[in-house]
Order: sequence, then C-alpha cells, then structure tokens
Amino acid sequence: MTRELNWPVIRLLMIKDWQLFQKQLAAHLLGGIVALAFLGMAKPWAFYIGSLLLIILLVAVACFAVSTSLLVERKEQTLAFVMSLPVSPLDFTVAKLAGNLLTFLVPFLVMALFTAIIIFSTPLPDGLVVLAALVFGHVLVAYCISLAVAMQVESEGWNLFAMIGSMVLINPFLMLIGQMDSVQSVLRGNAVIWPAPALAILGAQALIGLACLAFALWSNGRKPAFY
Amino acid sequence: MTAAFVLQGVSKHYPQFSLSDFSLTLPEGQIMGLVGVNGAGKSTLLRLLTGLAAPSSGDIEVLGHRLPEAQVAAKRKIGFAAEDMRLYRGQTLAWHIELVRRIYPEWDSAYAASLLRRFDLRADQSVGGFSHGQRVKALLLLCLARRPQLLLLDEPTTGLDPVARAEVLESLAEVLRDEHRSVLFSSHNTHDVEQLSDSISFMHQGRLLASADKERFLDEWRRVLCVGDVPDALDAWPELVQRRAAGSQIELKFRRWQDDLPERLAQVGLSVQRIDPMTLEDIFVTTVRAGGRQ
Amino acid sequence: MSHLDPGAAPAAPSDARIPAFDHLRALAMLAGVLFHAALAYSPMMHGFWPTAYRAQSPWIDAIVWCLHLVRMPLFFVVAGYFTAWLIVRRGWGGLLRQRLRRILVPMLVAWPLVHLATSASTEWALDHVVHPSPFLSMVKAWLAMPDPPGMPPSTGHLWFLYYLLLFTALAWVVHALDWARGFARTVRITPTRLALILPVLVAPGFFLTTAPHPAPESLFPQFWALALYGPFFALGALLLDRVDLLLSLRRWLWPGLLACVLAYVGFLVQLDQREVADWARTAPWSTALLQALVAAWGTLAALIAGLRWFNRPRAWMTYLARSSYWTYLLHLPVLFALQYVLLDHALSWPLALLLSCGLTLAICLLSYELLVRRTRLRDWVG
Repeated sequence: MTRELNWPVIRLLMIKDWQLFQKQLAAHLLGGIVALAFLGMAKPWAFYIGSLLLIILLVAVACFAVSTSLLVERKEQTLAFVMSLPVSPLDFTVAKLAGNLLTFLVPFLVMALFTAIIIFSTPLPDGLVVLAALVFGHVLVAYCISLAVAMQVESEGWNLFAMIGSMVLINPFLMLIGQMDSVQSVLRGNAVIWPAPALAILGAQALIGLACLAFALWSNGRKPAFY
Repeated sequence: MTAAFVLQGVSKHYPQFSLSDFSLTLPEGQIMGLVGVNGAGKSTLLRLLTGLAAPSSGDIEVLGHRLPEAQVAAKRKIGFAAEDMRLYRGQTLAWHIELVRRIYPEWDSAYAASLLRRFDLRADQSVGGFSHGQRVKALLLLCLARRPQLLLLDEPTTGLDPVARAEVLESLAEVLRDEHRSVLFSSHNTHDVEQLSDSISFMHQGRLLASADKERFLDEWRRVLCVGDVPDALDAWPELVQRRAAGSQIELKFRRWQDDLPERLAQVGLSVQRIDPMTLEDIFVTTVRAGGRQ
Repeated sequence: MSHLDPGAAPAAPSDARIPAFDHLRALAMLAGVLFHAALAYSPMMHGFWPTAYRAQSPWIDAIVWCLHLVRMPLFFVVAGYFTAWLIVRRGWGGLLRQRLRRILVPMLVAWPLVHLATSASTEWALDHVVHPSPFLSMVKAWLAMPDPPGMPPSTGHLWFLYYLLLFTALAWVVHALDWARGFARTVRITPTRLALILPVLVAPGFFLTTAPHPAPESLFPQFWALALYGPFFALGALLLDRVDLLLSLRRWLWPGLLACVLAYVGFLVQLDQREVADWARTAPWSTALLQALVAAWGTLAALIAGLRWFNRPRAWMTYLARSSYWTYLLHLPVLFALQYVLLDHALSWPLALLLSCGLTLAICLLSYELLVRRTRLRDWVG
C-alpha cells in the first residue's frame, strides 16, 4: 500500500470539512465574541456569564467538530462518495485528524490566551494560571479521546458516551486537584510556580492526548479500505 | 487485449455474506452489465473494484493498478456512482461540482454544463432537496464530467421513474460511444442491461454464474414447447437446464443450443410444437433457478 | 462613474472602486492625528491626557468632540465598503489573505513597537519634563508607591485594527448563517429609512458607555463599541450595491448638517452641565441620542460630501490616501514625544497645536516616503 500522502487532496478534504462545519463554526465564533465581550465588561456577573459561555462553547466545538466530520458522514452515507475520490484511507484519516484538530485548536488556543490575559491583567492571583492549564489540559484530553473513539467506533451510543463521559470527568479531576496541597498553595499566590504534581498531570495529559491521536492515525491509516 | 480490470480468484468475507473465488475480466472499451438479485454481491464487487473494499484474498487489477494498494492512482481514472451513495445534504450541487472539479484535472466543465441542462438539474439547489432521480443524475454528472476511463455504476437506474430512467440510459448510451471507455454497471433490471451492454455477467449468492457476450447469450438459449412422454434420459442431457409441465405441453429450456436438438427430441419421442428465443430476463431467472449449473 | 449621477438607477454590484471612499478614509485617519494632537489643549481632558498642555481653549472641546463623533464611524463605513468590495473581487479567501497581510500582521508588529516607543517617551518625560501634565504627575506619584499596580494590556490607538478584524469575523458569521439574504428579503431600505434608523441603531452603543465615548482599547471586545461601530460597518457593506441611497439623500445635505450642528450644541450643553461624578457613568439616554444623531447624520453628510467633492482622483489626495495607514500607525508615539518636549516651552495653544500636528505629519509622511512607498513595506502598510 502506498504511504505517500496526497497533500493537495488532503487539503481539499480539510477545506470541505470546514465548509460543512461552516454554520456551526459561525455560531461558535459569534458566541465566542459575545462571551469575550461579557468578560470585557469587568463586572462579576458578566465575568461569570462570559466564562460559563466560553466553557459551553469549547465543549460544543469539540462535540460538533467530531460529530459533523465523522459521525454525520457515516450516518448520511457520504463516506462512499468521499472514498470514491482519489484518496487513500491514510489520506482520509490524516485529513480528518488535521481538520478536526485545527477546528478545535483555534478556538481552544484563543480561549486559553484570553484566560491567561484575564489572570495576568486582573487582581486575580497569577498562580491561577496553573489551574487554568490543568483544566484546559483536561478538555484537550477529553477532545482527543472523543476524536479517537469517533474514528474507531461506529456506534453512536459509544461515541456519545465517550464525549459526555470524558468531559464530565472534569468534576472528579477538579476534586483531585482540590486535594493536592502543593497545587492549592500555588493557586492562591501571585507567583507562577509549577509544582511537581501539576507538571506530572500536564505530562500525563499530553501523553494520553498524543497516544489517542497516534492510535487513531495508526489504526485507520493502516487499513487498506474502509468497507 | 488490454483489460479495464481483471479479478483473479477474489474472495471477500463479511459476517453475513461472502463473495467467493470470483474471476472476471472486462476488456477495454467494453460495456458489461452485471445482473443479480438483491444481495447477490454486485455492490461488494463494485466496491472491490474502486478500492473502497479490500479483498480477503485474490488479485484485483484496475486500469493497470493493483487494488487496493494503488487505489489513489486507479481512482483518478475511475468514475463510481452507486444507488446508495449519498451527497452532502446541506450543500448545493455547484459545491459538489467545485469539489470534484478541483480534484480531477480532466474535469470537462462544458460537458458538465450540458449534462446539467439535459438532466434538468439546478446547480444552486441544495442536494438535500433532490428527489431520488435527481440525486442519481447528480451523481452521474459528477462521474461523467470527470471523463473517466472506467465507469462503475451500481444500480444506476434502480428506483427511477420512466422519464428519468430514459434520460439516464440515453446519456449512458452516449458515453458508451467512446470506444476507449469501459463500463461496468450492475442492475437487477435485465431490460436496461440488454439495452446497453456488450457483455453480460450473472451473479448469485456471491458467485459468478455466467459471463459472455450479449449475442452469445441470446443465441445459445432456447425455449422449446413439445408434447409426448418425457423419457428419464432427457434429464441427463447437458444442454437441458429446465423442464416443466405447461398444461398438456412440456416446456424445456436449453442452453448451448444446437440446430440438431429438435431432431434429437423427436428421436426420444417428443414432438416439438414451438421453438422461441429467450429474453435476457428469462435466461437470468432460469440460470439462477438452475443454480448456475454449466 | 455613471452610477454616481444624480437620479441614476440603483447601482449594480460594481467592482469599480469609488475614489471618494479612499479619500474619505484618508481624511478620517488624518482627522485622528488632529484629534489626538488637539486633546493636549482640551480643558475637558486636561486631567487625563498624558501630554495635556498648560495653555488650553474651550474652542478645542467645541470642535474635537464633533470630530471624535464622526471620524471613526466614517472610517468604519469605508472599511465596511471595502470589505464588501474585496469579497466581490477576491472572495472570502482573498479577503482573509488581505486581512492577515494588511491588518493582523501590521497590528501584531506595530503593537509592541508603539507600546515601547510611547513608554520610552513617557519615561523620558517623567525624568526630564519640568512642567508635567497632571497625568504625568499622577504616574510619577503612582510609581513612587512601594508596589505600583501594572496597567492592563490594551490595544492602544491600534484598537481600530482589532475591531476591523472583529467586524470581518462577524461579517463572515452573517454570510455563513445566511442572514444577509434573509435581511434583504424582509427589509427594504429606502434613503429616508436609512437616515431615520441609523441614529436609532447606533444610540445603544453610546448609551452603554461614557460620554464622550472612550477608545475601546481593551483586549476584550466591548459591547458598546460593537453596537456603535457595527452598524456603520454594515452600512458600508450595504453601500457597495446601494450607493444610490447616498445620492438620493444629497438634497438633505444642508438641512442634515444643520440638524447635526443643533444636536451637537445640545450635546455640548449637556456635557457642560454634567457633574464630575457623572464622568465615569454611562451616558443618559438623551446624551446618547444626541451623540447618535451627530454621528449618524454627520457620517452620512461626510459621505455625501465626499461623493460630491472628493470623487475625482487627484495626485495629492491619492498620495495622502496611500500614506494615511502608515501615518496613523506611527503618529501617536511621534506626537507624544513632540508634545512631551513642548511641555516645557511656553507657547500659545494654536502655535503648539500647529507645531505638534505639523511636525508629526511631516515626520510620518517623510518616513512613508523613505521607508514605505518604494519598499516591500508598501504591500503591508502602504
């Protein structure tokens, strides 16, 4: 099986997925601007609404990106049309992974950036950036798991379970952080110190995320065909 | 002879269905009709030929490329449309045309425009609003305008109203005038196959029952009505595929028809009343019922 | 250009660029230079403006706030027009490339440079100026504190680039969600409706902020700025196909201007009667509405006047139009440096204004000529 990637077609497939995702993306973008504007009002109630809206949007982007590009394609039987074009399963897999990651990472990074700006430019303790990094890390891992499951498993039920389950795990995760004294002491201070347990968790998150993506790429890319 | 595709001992196993030891060749420039009932394995065969499915064993070569390994190179020259293939509901036909046009350098925009007119399709209409016939025509347009060397069509006329069916058949007939373009199209409608094909293959339960030129098929088969007592030895005749009583008469269906057969029937005590050529549908049904006995 | 003839039929979508819009954008940018320079001599801004000068005049306040109310709305109308023009000419991909090259990259490059230059000149002023402005004195006292709080990051005077990107993103949202077509189907815009509805549309923007409205320099989008400048940007996009709206309003130019003047006088009276405690509060409805009238009708008047008198390409106008982007990016650090130097020179306010404004423009135009016009920089900020 040829392992050369057909980049022009991969690019077209990514653009195609972006175009299919356009309406949802537009709604998310609008929601993002509104959420940032709430945060920009510098009032406690607006801060609460803005941050809540941003978290909802981030989760929505993660779920919709995976759903539109993978689950809907399968459900509406458009996969045969795409695979009848000159693409290999590896091209298709790379296009799906790259397109999805791009769709998710752009709003994810914008949000992370604005969160950092809020922490550093307001009287909030700068140490909170450690907590923010851990929370963002969890959302990223949850997204990678959902993406890998969607690429691997056809069942809609399992996919929903993976999406909701991985995101909901943020609660026990926050409880776990709450019990780590070394992390808690940093969060209240104005100095940005990265305690060893926090670094270990971030490392584990990076590893899990990468492992999920690598498995999805390896498992789908080595298939000679999808049917 | 250059082959558009060669299948050699191909098997494909699914939990509920198997395609077994399948060998078939389509010479370049030929139009082959693939006839089989629902579930015969036609779609599996076409998916194998487009690289969408990988064979469990055996060799597939399409336009000189081994599949599924060289599927990208092969698919550049293949046009594949299937009855169950869906386009993106939320997007317009123009969007699909643009997507395919950017992938295929051979895309013929003028031809696409003429097909758009002939099929009476609106490019700016969302595909989700298309009827079944319009969807099939849209798929055909997307296939034909890329000027493929090999056209693979899975049940292109199934479910179409008579007008749409005539339009699709007419445009296919036009495409088929190009002697370098090879076509394999599957159908359970033998009339369509008879109308278009140079050669015909019958499939049943994942096996190839018969494959030959259309004329040879029609020439080889005869239906004979006769009267008299049927001798037991008649069933051993290799040419006889089916025997049944039709009122006071006996209906016999022969393949590999020889001109001396009426005389041989008379010799065993049967008086021939009538000899008719058979329709393709009749030949197909008889073959399937006989289980592909050669 | 035939579709600018009075009485002509509504113009078809055109890819011909209307020169008047280029010239108006240049004027709006140059008005910004004048505005920032004049604030140093405004009694109202004396306590807040870094380069506030000892000589002031109420005439400055009488003029600059009118300039302030019209120049950025006018800029965003033109920006909306050119955005729509680019979409028609080059598609969304082309627009995105243009925005990256001409807006995002210059903004990201200019932002730290402008910040560094302004900080450097302010530090110099803190150390060397003998007659500091109240703002400088306040900063000095502030810095003397044991743990002075830092300033939140802001876009500074480059906020307009940030909002251009935001409005481009919002324009794409409108396009992707197919709202424009729905709007066009349900709402028929006539010249009279436009003139009456525009002030109503922008009034909430004024109501949500203080009067006079500040620059939305926060890194977070501001509702009031989106509500104020958004309708102007949308109007610009609408004008690509409907420049006839402006042509039909031509006969209302002078009555409209008179109404603007009356509304502006009312606004000034309200400003004058305000208590100091009200300065930090959002504007009352009446003030917001008066500002909206001045901004909306003043902008429409400027557009009509532009089409009437500035639509013929002239070499000097074209030069100013081309150099205006660079001039605007550069002007504030240059202006601040000059005005800090002038703080210790006792001059009359007109002379100080003329000197600071004239020298700033001269330095900006000279640097444009030497650094931008004939170099690769022209593609980015020329």
